[in-house]
Amino acid sequence: MDAGLITLDALGPSGPFRARKRMTVTDVAGAPVAELSLVPKLFVTRAMDALRKARTLPAAERTAALARAGRIFAEETVDGLDFEEYQRTVARVSGVPMGVVRAATAAIIEATEVAPVAAYQARPVGAVDDWRAEETRRGSAVWTRKGDVFAVHAAGNHPGPHSLWVEALAMGYRVAVRPSRREPFTPHRLISALRAAGFGTDQVVLLPTDYDAADEILRSADYGLVYGGDEVVRKYEGTRVLPQGPGRSKMLVPAGADWRDHLDTIVDSIAHQGGVACINATTVLVEGDPAPLAQAIAERLATIPSLPPEDEKAVLAVQPAEGARKLEAFLLARAAGTTAHLGGDGIVEELGDGSAVLRPAVHQLDRPDAEQAGIELPFPCVWVAPWSPADGIGPLRNSLVLTAFTDDEALIDELLAEPTISNLYLGDHPTYWIRPGVPHDSYLGEFLMRTKTVIRD
Amino acid sequence: MSTVDPLLEFPLDTQPDPDEFLRAALRWHFSPETGSPFWLERAGTLGFDPLTDIGGFADLGRFPNLANELRDVRAEDLIPRGYGDRPDVVGVYESGGTTGAPKRIVLLQEWLDRLLAWSSGQLDRHGVPQGVNWLVVAPTGPHMVGDVIKRQTAYRGGLAFTVDLDPRWVKKLIADGKTAEAGAYAEHIVDQVAFLLQTQDIGVLMCTPPVLERLARRDDLAKLIDEKVKAINWVGTQMDADTRYLYRTEVFPKAHLYSGYGSTMILGNASERPGLTDDDPCVYDPFAPHMVFDVVDPGTRETVAYGERGQVVMHHVSKSLFMPNNLERDYATRVPGPEGVWQIGDSVADIAPVQEFDNETVIEGVY
Repeated sequence: MDAGLITLDALGPSGPFRARKRMTVTDVAGAPVAELSLVPKLFVTRAMDALRKARTLPAAERTAALARAGRIFAEETVDGLDFEEYQRTVARVSGVPMGVVRAATAAIIEATEVAPVAAYQARPVGAVDDWRAEETRRGSAVWTRKGDVFAVHAAGNHPGPHSLWVEALAMGYRVAVRPSRREPFTPHRLISALRAAGFGTDQVVLLPTDYDAADEILRSADYGLVYGGDEVVRKYEGTRVLPQGPGRSKMLVPAGADWRDHLDTIVDSIAHQGGVACINATTVLVEGDPAPLAQAIAERLATIPSLPPEDEKAVLAVQPAEGARKLEAFLLARAAGTTAHLGGDGIVEELGDGSAVLRPAVHQLDRPDAEQAGIELPFPCVWVAPWSPADGIGPLRNSLVLTAFTDDEALIDELLAEPTISNLYLGDHPTYWIRPGVPHDSYLGEFLMRTKTVIRD
Repeated sequence: MSTVDPLLEFPLDTQPDPDEFLRAALRWHFSPETGSPFWLERAGTLGFDPLTDIGGFADLGRFPNLANELRDVRAEDLIPRGYGDRPDVVGVYESGGTTGAPKRIVLLQEWLDRLLAWSSGQLDRHGVPQGVNWLVVAPTGPHMVGDVIKRQTAYRGGLAFTVDLDPRWVKKLIADGKTAEAGAYAEHIVDQVAFLLQTQDIGVLMCTPPVLERLARRDDLAKLIDEKVKAINWVGTQMDADTRYLYRTEVFPKAHLYSGYGSTMILGNASERPGLTDDDPCVYDPFAPHMVFDVVDPGTRETVAYGERGQVVMHHVSKSLFMPNNLERDYATRVPGPEGVWQIGDSVADIAPVQEFDNETVIEGVY
């Protein structure tokens, strides 16, 4: 064991726990960075039991503790890392560019401040959030938790998603997070901060585990949140576990719009955050010949430099070279038969230290329903396809975000009514636009809360 | 029976020369008057003469691994003729049966007596009290463990309460992806255990790690175990060091937690080496020279270095059975025998099924 490694203990109900079973977390060049304790199933069972038996902090204390936690997260040395070192470590380990890490961690801090308000945006207009409200004297709905314990299988592609489960704490859930083994630093820092800020060790826990015990976390919780591919979505859809799958976000440029007016927004939607997010555009559909647009996107994306992730100017994500080569081989195999405008010979640029930049790829499809249109990969990888009104909205389905450059009201009505489109942005708004208080994929509160009628004397 | 070599019945407080002991055993098993039909039939096909060509344990590798033949051989053919036409049979038992048809073996009273005397000594060294009742949550027939532990409890002056479990059914459910059914079956076991814990004086609890986890999860049962149980003997599957630590420090701090490892093919089991700390590997020392362990490279079949992992090879040599070179499914770390204790062959540690490796493939999506 290297004495220079960062130690990431599990954060259980009796405090930090250093397991005998530990895994080494490496950076994108394969250099060891940290040792992460992996807890056995028995530890998970007992931690989840402790969460269930714990009390919930009153709402006002939760709000205060969340805000305090944000300040600790941003300002204090946690687990031996100051904020700057922590951010650099996240960039080196996850390969997410430093600028993106800064933005994502700022979003987490913002979430700790606004989560109590943001979470309650989901409250139905007929409900109040406390039975003590005057409304209940005449009879009113009260917004209440559906359960007590919420479990998260976190993602490691990007620190951003950790701002979501903070809302569950704001709603009064006790929360267990299983960190991604790729990037455990963010939830470790956040949960350490939450506990230092006033949340009990039996109210929020970090349970790094291997696969066997991971299921136990979800099984023992009332509700859960998981991130994964289509298989994960199929497994959990309609259950007490909310799956967050591929975003397959899209952009539509119909005849009334000139893509030249929106090229910045289109290119940004593809490459912002290194293309690692589910809100990056995967497909651009354009009425007319897609070739000029594909070429213009390719020319813009080709100029992005290849830099190590901790570089302040880095834009593209970095991965271990071996993993990058696998993604490349997958893309090249699947892109067969399409027209490459960028990345047709490969997307990997090795940095010489064992890591590699995932460079953009732009492919032109000859029809909107080509099978490639739904292939979402964790780098700027876009499919540009022709679309005409005769194709209908079929090719636009299954989108976390759809940006449509249109003011055709009939089309907008249809898109808004389509259940598989989660968010609809009209006009010059990038697919990655998001603010606290608007839903990312419905409000979490829609999943975790319910209404009850209360009338009292 | 006047022809029996006393070496085969050596008193347990003595240490015979292992190779002399082995040669005496081979004379017994390969003599027409005393050997089993199983070995006598195969003696001519070995390509060597076991009575003259095998000098000691180092030569045992010349024997083929015939364990697979135990899947369809007549059970009575396994009994050495030297036991006469009324052999004192405890039972016919079967292996797990997870890798195809089960293997069958015959347990004779004479061997069981020796095994119990030895294993009871091991329990004493663990500080497991005599004269207490055992709650045995383990398979009974066709498996051996249930019957052996029942007899062991009687030998040590307690009553054995049993809850049967059918590992083949559980494995089938899990293989079919029926995890909910497997869970329901496990709860059925726990419910039966509950009645015994609530009403009887249970001094020792023997069960598998999954059952123990379920017992620990039930607050009422965990409390009863903490109040009553002096020792917990886990068997059947592996338990990692962190879990052992949690049981010892947080869940059942008053009970002595120890494990056992056995195989039908060696007609017995061993308790973990007494005195291990939380950070030590779980080491098992065999009942030598009746049971001899080796740890080999699965590819070359060469013995691995101490501290390395490999596949476990077991030999059983006693008057009632000769079964050399049985290649187990399990993997283990090869460990030297205990210091100051006479033992031939290796000890084994951290038993686990074959290591499975993650097969990385590209999954679409960003997570």
